[in-house]
Amino acid sequence: MGSLRRMLLSPQFPPVILTLVAVATCTTLGRAQQSAPTDIVFRGATVMTASNGTIEHGVVWVHAGKIAGVGATVSAPSSATIVDATGLWLTPGIIDPHSHSALDGDVNEATSPVTPSMHMIDAFDNRSADLYRALAGGVTTELLLHGSANMIGGQAVVIKNKFGLDRDAMLFPNAPGSIKFASGENPKRVYGSRDQLPSTRMGNFEVMRMAFEDAKHYMADWDAYDAKVKKGDKDAVPPKRDLKLEALADVLRGKLFVQIHCYRADEFLTEEDIAKDYGYKIRAFHHALEMYKVAPEIAADGTAIATFTDWWGFKDEARDAIPWNAVMSMRQGVRVALKSDSDDHIRRLNVEAGKMIHYGGATEDEAIRMVTLNPAWIIGVDDRTGSIDVGKDADLVLWNHDPLSTYARAMKVYIDGDLFFDASLPGWGTTHFNGVMHEGGGFGSDDDEGDGQ
Amino acid sequence: MKLMTQVTASVTYFAVACLALPAALLAADTTTPPAKVVAITGGKLLTVSHGTIENGVLILADGKIAAVGTARDVKIPKGAEIVDAKGLTIYPGLIDPESNFGLTEISADAMTSDLAERSDEIMPHMHVADAFHSETELIPVARLNGVTNAVVAPASDDSIAGQDIFIQLYGSRQQMMLATDVALAMNYGAEQRRRGNPQGGKTTYPSTRMGLITELRQTFLDTQDYMAKRDAAAKKPDSSFKRDLKFEALIPYLKGERPVVIGVYESYDVETIMHLAQEFHLKVILNHVTHTQEVLDEIAAWKVPVIIGSIYDAPRANERYDAVYTLPAELAKRGVTVAIASADGGGPVSSHSARNLPYAAGFAVAYGLPYDDALKAITLNVAQMFGFGDKLGSLDVGKMANVVLANGDPLDVRTDVKQVYIQGVAVPMVSRQTQLRDEYTR
Repeated sequence: MGSLRRMLLSPQFPPVILTLVAVATCTTLGRAQQSAPTDIVFRGATVMTASNGTIEHGVVWVHAGKIAGVGATVSAPSSATIVDATGLWLTPGIIDPHSHSALDGDVNEATSPVTPSMHMIDAFDNRSADLYRALAGGVTTELLLHGSANMIGGQAVVIKNKFGLDRDAMLFPNAPGSIKFASGENPKRVYGSRDQLPSTRMGNFEVMRMAFEDAKHYMADWDAYDAKVKKGDKDAVPPKRDLKLEALADVLRGKLFVQIHCYRADEFLTEEDIAKDYGYKIRAFHHALEMYKVAPEIAADGTAIATFTDWWGFKDEARDAIPWNAVMSMRQGVRVALKSDSDDHIRRLNVEAGKMIHYGGATEDEAIRMVTLNPAWIIGVDDRTGSIDVGKDADLVLWNHDPLSTYARAMKVYIDGDLFFDASLPGWGTTHFNGVMHEGGGFGSDDDEGDGQ
Repeated sequence: MKLMTQVTASVTYFAVACLALPAALLAADTTTPPAKVVAITGGKLLTVSHGTIENGVLILADGKIAAVGTARDVKIPKGAEIVDAKGLTIYPGLIDPESNFGLTEISADAMTSDLAERSDEIMPHMHVADAFHSETELIPVARLNGVTNAVVAPASDDSIAGQDIFIQLYGSRQQMMLATDVALAMNYGAEQRRRGNPQGGKTTYPSTRMGLITELRQTFLDTQDYMAKRDAAAKKPDSSFKRDLKFEALIPYLKGERPVVIGVYESYDVETIMHLAQEFHLKVILNHVTHTQEVLDEIAAWKVPVIIGSIYDAPRANERYDAVYTLPAELAKRGVTVAIASADGGGPVSSHSARNLPYAAGFAVAYGLPYDDALKAITLNVAQMFGFGDKLGSLDVGKMANVVLANGDPLDVRTDVKQVYIQGVAVPMVSRQTQLRDEYTR
């Protein structure tokens, strides 16, 4: 890495010459209809695996959409399509565990503080230009979350960013379900401005407890019914199915990953207490800008964080945000991911990860994990993607510079071994998209419209 | 003293410079920085004006740059404090061409905002100097990443929003305001039509682009009329003549004595507002221009400097993903003097992110802007646009000693700034954020 560093430090670093050889299917528009080659071998790249360090001049073999080999050499068939990646960097696809893209501003069903039966998939617009721009920034997987107007918001959708394919083909197959919770200023503002509950943090958390009491009652009704049926009671009448209470019951049954928007240290502790009282686990705190204050306590509970790198001061509860939060929390044992919560930052999460070297001295390995393997864990797909390991999905990005530097551009983006973006192509650089893109709507943040501002 | 231990522990090779910190801390509230000679030796100097000097020597004396050159060429004065900068990169302090430092603290808290006077679109008599809150927490945060100077402008609500100040990011309030009323902040486009109501309901003039331009033209004509009466009254005392602060404020700009910074985004809006500006011979700096890809040759032909911000503005649907990222390169290629602002994409300017100024310039490099042009776009070009070309923006003898020492390429996110000098003072590398960090470091 020494020579690379020197090169980047030189005021006029030499332009990297792209020796892009023969991905034969990638030079005309017609290729969109062709399927990806069965075997692809990337040769000569600096391979940042995210799980097992960096391999200089590494080789990665992709077979049938999965990673089949990685190392100094691989035993790929001679028929494999060779991608000469000399002078380039190869990483796992970037994963954003907190996006509101492609929802046309339908981020918050801010009509009640408890809306767990909302499903973000119902608003998913697979032709949104924000998906394309994220793809061009190397993003291959996104967790599309409900916003933060409600204490208990809707259920997320996990997508693979196969821009140009139809809606169903963009869903991450068999990804676990996640549900969005939130506390703090946003629900306070939205409902407080209407003189409704909750207008305080006291109200915030009591709304949650009341909802879980309802869910427990509902579950007890069903348990009683199931017990009657089991006993052979033919006259047993099933309770009415209630989508809201079923969703809450799924939280209590541990069937949904709980993703909580909150900022302040005291809120993390209160949320963990409530989770313990009602018997569910919190998968991740999102934003979590004050985690550095209570990291050991939260690390013990196994909850991860998905945080901003250096946004601060945009609201009172973000006043104590510091850019060292991610690395300080990581050093205390918290699993840390970086996320966008923004249609802007989602396009350059790799550069955000690079800041972690500056703020706190993360290693390159640790930094790249914050935008690949760790967000994959938060979403619950870390056994399928997020690192360059044999058996995982071939979600890969080729960069023209160290992806953690300001200068990196995604040159090619592969998902399941198929090329979806190629910067060297004229026009959009997309390989599967035709037609008209849709404007995304809003800035793609938690605070977006529908939030009652 | 917690600060001292933190700095010395993390940057051992910087121990010599750290000895200067107590003096610098004391100097924070006094009127004059210590008149001390500092020799920064062994580092790589990015002069901006005359190339890179390896193993360079930079002498700071009396708040100014006293010498710059190679170890062979520059003699170190006796008694100078030596700062060993071996392995470090040294460059002039960065200058943000558009900020709102001291006009906002917590974005969501309206009571901390003095960003714009929305009572009317024509507000040239609003002076940022009157609202500037020099103790804002935003300034030390940006300074830690090497930003030493900035233009502070009102927000973009009004056609004429007020007059900017040019600041340095250290010292007493008076020291920080290097110049007041340095430029007139103008804006043109969809946003200023705010009295219009597309859904119907209450609409007052000016509610359209036609209204905005007509109102501006009438204002400039009225000012010219005022100037004539004022001149006449000066020659022959006339008790009926009354000073009008709004018109007074516009005079230097209509005389072309000071620049007008015009915030505008769209190609067709740029053409409209430039025609008006030329009609009145305004000295224009264009600002934003993030959706002007169709008129770049025209912009070049006007021979006006351009501030680009935010480079992260989203392209239009159906545009290529890098349509805005490549704008600095495309303008520079056409000979346009380019500055780059710190603004984040997807929202109004917020100087909470001003510390990311160098990375915006680096991003422009990734998308084709030559490195030297990028560094100029956040140093010398900004200084020149706002009348500080002989005082700031490069490592040249006689300029203010605003200097940054970092452990690598200033435009790379991985680089850590080790020390910032402002007018020769080694500024404490402390902000509320470092204090929180240190308080909670276990």
